[in-house]
Amino acid sequence: MYFRLVRSDLVKNKVITLTTVFFVAAAAMLVSLAAILVVNLWGSIDALMTMAKTPHFMQMHTGDIDIGRLSAFARQNAMVDEFQVLEFVNIDGSHIVINGKSLVDNVQDNGFSVQSDKFDYLLALDGNTVRPSVGEVYVPICYMKDSTAQIGDRLVVFGQELVVAGFVRDSQMNSTLSSSKRFLVSPEDLGEIKSLGSTEYLIEFRLKDLSGLREFETAYISAGLEANGPTLTYPLFKTINAISDGMMIAVLLLVSALVVAIAFMCIRFTLLAKIEDDYREIGVMKAVGMRVSDIKKIYLAQYAAMALAGSALGYALSLGLRGLLLENIRLYMGESGNASLAPVLGIVGVAIVFLVLIAYVNGLLRKFSRISAADAIRFGTSQEKPNGKNRIWLSKNRLLETNIFLGVRDVLARKGLYGTILVVLVTAAFIIAVPQNLHNTISSKSFIRYMGIGDYDMRFDLQQGANMDENARAVVAAMAGDRDIARYVALTTKSFSVQTDAGLVANLNVELGDHGIFPVDYSQGRAPTEEGEIALSVINASELNVKVGDIITLVIDGRDTQLAVCGIYSDITNGGKTAKAVFDDNSASVMWSIVCAELTDKTLISGKVREYTERFAFAKVTGVDEFVAQTFGTSITSVGKAAYASLAVATVITALITVLFMKMLIAKDRYSIAVMKACGFRNSDIRLQYVSRSVLVVIAGVFMGTLLANTLGGMLAGKAMASFGGESFRFVVNPVLAYLLMPLLMAGTVLLATWVGTSGAGRTNLLQRIKE
Amino acid sequence: MKSVFFGENIVKSFGDGDKSRKVLDGVSLAVSEGEFVSIMGPSGSGKSTLMFALSGMDGVDSGRVHFEGRDISGMTENELADMRRTRMGFVFQQPTLLKNLNILDNIILPSMRDNRGHNGKIVARARMLMERTGIAGLEERGVTEVSGGQLQRVGICRALMSRPAVLFADEPTGSLNSQSAQEIMDIFAEISDEGTAVVLVTHDARVAAQTQRIMFMRDGKIVREMQFAEAASEGLEDRFQEVVATMREHCI
Repeated sequence: MYFRLVRSDLVKNKVITLTTVFFVAAAAMLVSLAAILVVNLWGSIDALMTMAKTPHFMQMHTGDIDIGRLSAFARQNAMVDEFQVLEFVNIDGSHIVINGKSLVDNVQDNGFSVQSDKFDYLLALDGNTVRPSVGEVYVPICYMKDSTAQIGDRLVVFGQELVVAGFVRDSQMNSTLSSSKRFLVSPEDLGEIKSLGSTEYLIEFRLKDLSGLREFETAYISAGLEANGPTLTYPLFKTINAISDGMMIAVLLLVSALVVAIAFMCIRFTLLAKIEDDYREIGVMKAVGMRVSDIKKIYLAQYAAMALAGSALGYALSLGLRGLLLENIRLYMGESGNASLAPVLGIVGVAIVFLVLIAYVNGLLRKFSRISAADAIRFGTSQEKPNGKNRIWLSKNRLLETNIFLGVRDVLARKGLYGTILVVLVTAAFIIAVPQNLHNTISSKSFIRYMGIGDYDMRFDLQQGANMDENARAVVAAMAGDRDIARYVALTTKSFSVQTDAGLVANLNVELGDHGIFPVDYSQGRAPTEEGEIALSVINASELNVKVGDIITLVIDGRDTQLAVCGIYSDITNGGKTAKAVFDDNSASVMWSIVCAELTDKTLISGKVREYTERFAFAKVTGVDEFVAQTFGTSITSVGKAAYASLAVATVITALITVLFMKMLIAKDRYSIAVMKACGFRNSDIRLQYVSRSVLVVIAGVFMGTLLANTLGGMLAGKAMASFGGESFRFVVNPVLAYLLMPLLMAGTVLLATWVGTSGAGRTNLLQRIKE
Repeated sequence: MKSVFFGENIVKSFGDGDKSRKVLDGVSLAVSEGEFVSIMGPSGSGKSTLMFALSGMDGVDSGRVHFEGRDISGMTENELADMRRTRMGFVFQQPTLLKNLNILDNIILPSMRDNRGHNGKIVARARMLMERTGIAGLEERGVTEVSGGQLQRVGICRALMSRPAVLFADEPTGSLNSQSAQEIMDIFAEISDEGTAVVLVTHDARVAAQTQRIMFMRDGKIVREMQFAEAASEGLEDRFQEVVATMREHCI
């Protein structure tokens, strides 16, 4: 009997059935996709890093190197499992020409390496350790993605011709957020190229136990070994690999959570409307002695059937769509080691949604025990408290047209009912606004200030070399004499030893110079202005366990020097571990220098970049827009994709829910509509009343949603960014998009949906309704 | 007296194909200004359907209905709505009021549709009608805070707001006690005296006996008419007996 009842009800209420199935499917699909993506991302990263045997500790170094001393250190240190020194021959982009097009505009430090023998392998797309033959080159995967190179292309470096034989995944430099890219060549070819570029050494260690990493880092520094370049560790490689797709997954998770919430809201609404419709029947069933649990079973079975269908459909869709979203992960990191686990976890996610949903429906059905059989049979509807006492009277209305007044008044009189659709609209506005704001923020120029980069137009990167000081002075002199340069500053990074709170010694890369000219964004405090001050990046402040006002001890020129922490700033450059100070130092060697400049006319940037690239061959000259595009491009694209997907999802949800809500409302109000029609109200009057309700609710929904997106959404995004070192993150809102286009889109969708949903509002059987 | 409306050979069926059932089967009738008419018949005889057809609330399959000289079958939905709002009044068995509005707002609701800054005049007329029907002072009450008889008067006030040419009442006393029912009938008699035609649908012989003309319906047809010289003031019991006998003879 139950089966017959359930089936006939599902067929009878097709709109409700289909909409409910749709929302459950959307929620299940997103939850499953999020689970699949998370598992695949971590699985792929793990698989890539395991196959490539990524170093646990890597010290970059330029200049003289004592391999014997390093080998002795590795032999004597019990934590070391494997050790190697790789050469990375840095070649200026202008001298690397792929298929006739040079990499002069490329912001990466491009260089050539040979395949390692022990670990830190560069892997071909099939996951194998590839060893190029003479005349072959394997190109970093990012150049396949941006179509810079194709297999069979000619790559010319300083006149030496190589053929692109394939592409490689580099477990430590894959991400565009990592500033170096390794091209893989044969030892013979590297020998040819070596003399034409500057050689950087990658001093790499694999440890027996990764948990001893901090201790090992201290031991390395204490040993006074080669260390004039950045230090990178295994966890950092992992983070850099995860960040781009991680942001997309974060947005997807947020949207999933909100769509699940909307699905629940939708179910709440349809179920309550259905109970209202079936009120008399429920009363009759109670009156003839059916138990509340038996009556509940009928409804529960219907929703279980819908939830099951929705969950299955959602899961199937997620399997179909996963390829699209996994494309980037697969390309950069290859297949996940636990790919088979992903669909299982997807099922677990969907099962959780299903079970929570059934529990929720069961909770809503508790209402049955409060239904009086006598009242239900007598009145046929729940005896809601009428709102005749409402102080907003038609007789006193002089402001609004009568139909608009009736619409507005109804919203104010039945706040609970409209509250549901309001929550849906607020959520939808939130789903649209937060990813859009996030996308807008990370696309905006000012975003770089949160990332540890000042707001300048052009930068000169001078890597370690014989004449670095001289070169830096030449650039500065050129800046001083150029009328198109409004402001400029030279900043030099040196490494100093610092004592950690645990009494250990660590290296701290400190950027010295005037930090007031192109300030970054400080989450706490301010830029250093005096010799005794230092500002730390969020990650360094956290690792050193200091806050603004605390004192840290640096070893400068052999002496312990105390510096007051004056500010903490977000930084994702150089692994997020940087510091800024203004003191003079002639003791430590310069790791690298940069000269930053602002132009009087922004349109000159590309011309100036070209001009200075030709003039100063020793420097890498980059326009900051280009730098941002190339460094954060993948992240911006990922978030952009997610933002537009969210926009589409939220718009469809808004339209569907509004149509559903209007249909329900009209069904609920059929008596009132019949009364008004009998009194001579036109169909257009009735429709205008419903449109007025929608307008009021959509105004409130969009206003609240936008407000929440800019406050709570900003906070959530800030928290997510903080985990990547971007603590002082604040949304950069595009006012035209956020306050005009998005509200217009929402309002347009709701109004259109209301128009569709109320199309049959006036077509009611007056005779039957009045007699009811 | 001038005719307010007339219907000619009205046919109306419900259902399709084999299940089709003729509810009105060639009904013709005419009602004049100020006439107080009742339509009597057992359940399912087509009384209410006829009233809905005459007022344009429901369409007909064939036949014509003329109201104030216009054929309503050619009218658009909007024209029908405007006609109901401005020239007709309706009172139903159950008080068809909106729960969310107070008593005064329910009464003025249709008139406010065309309101162009005349709240004062509309409210004044509503108060006058409330006074006349004995419900003054209930303006701010909610619809669940007054009795059934009072609610029915609220419905009458709303119906009279537009000074209609005809007032249709479908079983207006059906859910009232005898005292309230009589009070409502007195109000209808007064309205009719003032020139508004009143068409009453009822199965209560005592109510019908108070009208000037009674049309008896059976199986979708008017099977008998009974005309009195004037509305009943005396000899009501005799009329009642006569109506009951006619009913027995022609409708059962």
